[in-house]
Amino acid sequence: MHYIEVEDLSFQYENEPVLENISFKVEPGDFVMLTGENGAAKTTLLRNILGLLKPSKGNVHLSAKNYLGEQLVVGYVSQQIASFNAGFPSTVLELVQSGRYQRGKWFKKLDKHDKEQIRRSLESVGMWDMRFKKIGELSGGQKQRISIARVFATDPDLFILDEPTTGMDVNSRKEFYQLLRHNSMEHNKGILMVTHDHEEIRHYANKHIELVRKEGSPWRCFSMDSCKELSKPHS
Amino acid sequence: MEMFFYGFMQRAFQASFLISLIAPILGLFLILQRQSLMADTLSHVSLAGVALGMLIGINPTWTNILVVIVVAVLLEVLRQIYHTYSEISIAILMSAGMAVALVLMGISDGGATLSMTQFLFGSIVTINEQQIWMLLFLMIIIVALYIIFRKPMYILTFDEDTAFTAGLPIRTMSILFNILTGITIAIIMPIVGALLVSAIIILPAAISLRLSKSFNGVILIGIVIAIIGMLSGLVTSYELGTPPGASITLTLMLIFSITTVVKRVFRL
Repeated sequence: MHYIEVEDLSFQYENEPVLENISFKVEPGDFVMLTGENGAAKTTLLRNILGLLKPSKGNVHLSAKNYLGEQLVVGYVSQQIASFNAGFPSTVLELVQSGRYQRGKWFKKLDKHDKEQIRRSLESVGMWDMRFKKIGELSGGQKQRISIARVFATDPDLFILDEPTTGMDVNSRKEFYQLLRHNSMEHNKGILMVTHDHEEIRHYANKHIELVRKEGSPWRCFSMDSCKELSKPHS
Repeated sequence: MEMFFYGFMQRAFQASFLISLIAPILGLFLILQRQSLMADTLSHVSLAGVALGMLIGINPTWTNILVVIVVAVLLEVLRQIYHTYSEISIAILMSAGMAVALVLMGISDGGATLSMTQFLFGSIVTINEQQIWMLLFLMIIIVALYIIFRKPMYILTFDEDTAFTAGLPIRTMSILFNILTGITIAIIMPIVGALLVSAIIILPAAISLRLSKSFNGVILIGIVIAIIGMLSGLVTSYELGTPPGASITLTLMLIFSITTVVKRVFRL
């Protein structure tokens, strides 16, 4: 089964094509890194996959079910999420808790299991002690970490991450990649991550998609060569 | 003390208390969606609803509710069309609402113009028993909706993309919220006046936003601030014979100034 299936996708802003002939699949257990130069429409591709934008040609199929036959839960960290409004009235704990809502908790109280998941997520990014701080008082790196904690609290079947490690130090980044690899290998999660650190991540990911500029096109239009299989990461 | 023996003042206090429970909830969501001026737009459009009711001889509150529901939906449609410059929808409908109100007033006789002044500035004596019951019903609905939909609304106001990815019907939620705001404005406008209704909805939440770290905290502190501001503003209005909407707004502005200075001086 495939969590994401992109078939010959093209996308244009007004009449200007930015993506053409994109096709790939993300299966349960895949850790796919998506790279490309600045302005290569990586975020645009993710937004097409999520349904936030509509492809001008081709299809995107996001599975409705996970590999166990339950409803697929998607966790998304957008590029801008860490630059949230400094005045937003929320503590770190409230924001990370909100990650559990889409786990059937929109209208129910969070239970012991939810609270444990929230605690572990905050501890995994070293933010447990900051849980009562207002999110607007955090530094850029800390905001990034709680965005990650929020997505781990959701415990999604499919992670869609748009440059989630911006502003994080090398050690935090490595821990984060290890955690993602653990999730893909041990828990069969699907991961699609936009990144610039492809040298760092290639040791953790198992597939690599690179968006490259189309030659001969008058526009800044990007396509992909292929979806390269990387050497199997060690567990 | 004598004011408490008058029936119209008792109703004014009851109405103020009920508005205090509603205003911070709506105000917070409006501020977080960067739609603070939407209340202002809807209050201007409300005048067109009132003028229409007077012209065709129907209770203006009902025509008002009908008109604001239509405009609340239009606001969301325009917000989607002008996604990058969403405030354009506010500018368009505010001008259109005011223009329609003035034309309708021009068509009707002078009595409409006279009654319109009550809707523009608000008047304690205009509150009747039926309005109190409507307000009570509205308060129960808004508080219940807040309790039920607090979590989806938190995500929606935090980040629309995250809300969409989580499977929330963001467009429907926005339209329903606009409609609820419109109905609230239509009901409280005769009490506080069209010109100041948005200030009364926005100010308590704006003040408490600076005082609380948490989402629920903002609502609770906002309610306390609204109760203090509304009731003391009403007393001032009675004592000085000033318009209630303006008196309440100035009292809330005073609270805003005091909290800002205290926060600065004590670096809270």
